[in-house]
Amino acid sequence: MTRLTHRGLTRRSLLKTSAFAAAGTLATPALLRAQSSELVIGCAGSHTAWMEEIVVPHMKEAIGADILFEGTKSSVNLEKMASNKDQPYLSVVQMDDPVMIQAVEADLLTPITAEAVPNMTDLRGDAVHMDGMWCNYVQPWAGVAYNTDYSEGVPSWDALWDPANAGQVIIPSLQNTEGMWTLFVAAMLGSGKPFSEAQYEIDAAFAKLEELKPNLLSVYSTMSQAFNLLEQGEITLLSGNFSSYTLPRKSEGVPVDLAAPKEGIFAMPSGICLVKGGPNPELAEAYVNEMLGEKMQSAIADFASSVPANTTVKAGAVIPEGVQIYSPDWAFVAANRRAWIERFDKLMAL
Amino acid sequence: MIRRVDRLSLLAVPALGYLAVIYALPLVMLLAKSVRTPEGFSLAEYADFFADEYNMRVLWRTLRVAGLTTLLALVIAYPTAFAMSRAKGGWLTVFLVAMVLPMSLGVVVKAFAWSILFRANGALNGALQWIGLIDRPIRMMFTETALIVGAANVFLPFMVLPIYAVVRQLDQRLPEAAASLGATPMFRFFNVTLPLTLPGVVAGSAFTFSLAVSMYVIPSLIVGERQQTLSMLIARSFLYLRNEPLGSTISAVLLGIAVLVVVLSSWLARRLGART
Repeated sequence: MTRLTHRGLTRRSLLKTSAFAAAGTLATPALLRAQSSELVIGCAGSHTAWMEEIVVPHMKEAIGADILFEGTKSSVNLEKMASNKDQPYLSVVQMDDPVMIQAVEADLLTPITAEAVPNMTDLRGDAVHMDGMWCNYVQPWAGVAYNTDYSEGVPSWDALWDPANAGQVIIPSLQNTEGMWTLFVAAMLGSGKPFSEAQYEIDAAFAKLEELKPNLLSVYSTMSQAFNLLEQGEITLLSGNFSSYTLPRKSEGVPVDLAAPKEGIFAMPSGICLVKGGPNPELAEAYVNEMLGEKMQSAIADFASSVPANTTVKAGAVIPEGVQIYSPDWAFVAANRRAWIERFDKLMAL
Repeated sequence: MIRRVDRLSLLAVPALGYLAVIYALPLVMLLAKSVRTPEGFSLAEYADFFADEYNMRVLWRTLRVAGLTTLLALVIAYPTAFAMSRAKGGWLTVFLVAMVLPMSLGVVVKAFAWSILFRANGALNGALQWIGLIDRPIRMMFTETALIVGAANVFLPFMVLPIYAVVRQLDQRLPEAAASLGATPMFRFFNVTLPLTLPGVVAGSAFTFSLAVSMYVIPSLIVGERQQTLSMLIARSFLYLRNEPLGSTISAVLLGIAVLVVVLSSWLARRLGART
């Protein structure tokens, strides 16, 4: 101890140094946030491929932004926004419509305006929601993904319930937005009503879902793992999967395809919004403007086999012909989703 | 001497301060949320949690999986620790590297590796069919067995290393003395070796059980959403149901289990220490 004191390391200086070190550590995120060219974007985990390949380099070149993105589920992004409401660190979030409604209710978003984001005037009318609180930027379509080595196609959603597929089916949890598609299909098949009415027949949906249990290998909340099992032939059918995920894998030669069953398919509600009070607001608006512009819309729509929202863009996925494409009452979903998740988890529990 | 120790203990101040701010304070806030309602203090969340049959099933599954994981890890770790204690030079390095290196791999990577092993046409089913134990593939994925095997694999070092630390200090003359007095190998093991190594077993079991009872990523990846554990319920409560009181309540229950394990294992270790 004496030797330490001789070298000038006293108790007081030790405590001072520790305090400075702790303050420095705690202040680091704020210092990093202060960098003017950095934008932190919340997005879906399944966006990683095109965010890295297309969006990040484009944004650096077009608006000089250094993009950091956090890929996770929409509901997790919502929780991050709510938890950091007083000091947001996300500037822009790309998440699904039902979660956007919850974000608006929690006063977490700031409207997108045509003055700040001119490209929003080129969007389809139905792609702008709640007076610009969020916009849909691209729309993948959702059906049933299947392994082409073990199935020749999925003409009807009934295939999920076919005893021949016992143990060969995985469905998404209702925690994931794509989990809603199996619920709504169960409502249609269980109630016998058209989608416009069946989407409110939730008791019929759960009764039909119960009949699906013998065919289920699992229920996922992490899609990449479930998709991996489909690719490897461990399962034959993956319900509710979407074009931006299955079709790029198909084009890479993986034995998977996406079926558009006769009862109909669904429009994935991919939205983009500005976080209220988020860092670098002007750069965030420039980012959203670029995402809605022709170049990004074409590139993402082509890469992710999705339908662009910008009406001047002709690239992207073609929606299968001869089947209805549905978009549910998201306000109804947002109002009931928590109760549905609890009911679903208890129903599916082993 | 005492003064010197006091001064040296100041070196722990940064660590204690860090833990107080980063760990203890959020924990207190979390626990407060579980008993705070708009009307004031209430244990209603706890009553609701324990009254729900589904929650009780999840609690029981969590304890069962953690217990069986600990047991499997112990069965593998105990002889391994003895083998390591006897190993010299290069072999000891091989053992230690084999024990520590897998810890550098992420659980996600391991989960994908297990899915290759556990698949219907995977290596394990293939081997069982090849040696004639089964006629056709059996379902291994998304089963509790797969979860226990996977979790034991991840937590094995936390069981091996405490036992190894005790076994290495074991006085080899004691079992030899028992042998010279005519004790059979079985008698020597149960009456000499095992009691002397029990402190390591208790410490390793406490580590492993505490980790296994609170694991989240491993069950999420191996058994999915149909076999939830307490940690998965916590994540669901906070992230999807946005029900903070429920999430805080389940967190408190999980914390209570972990504290109980630590207290019990300390008490047991002290008793065993006194006996041996």
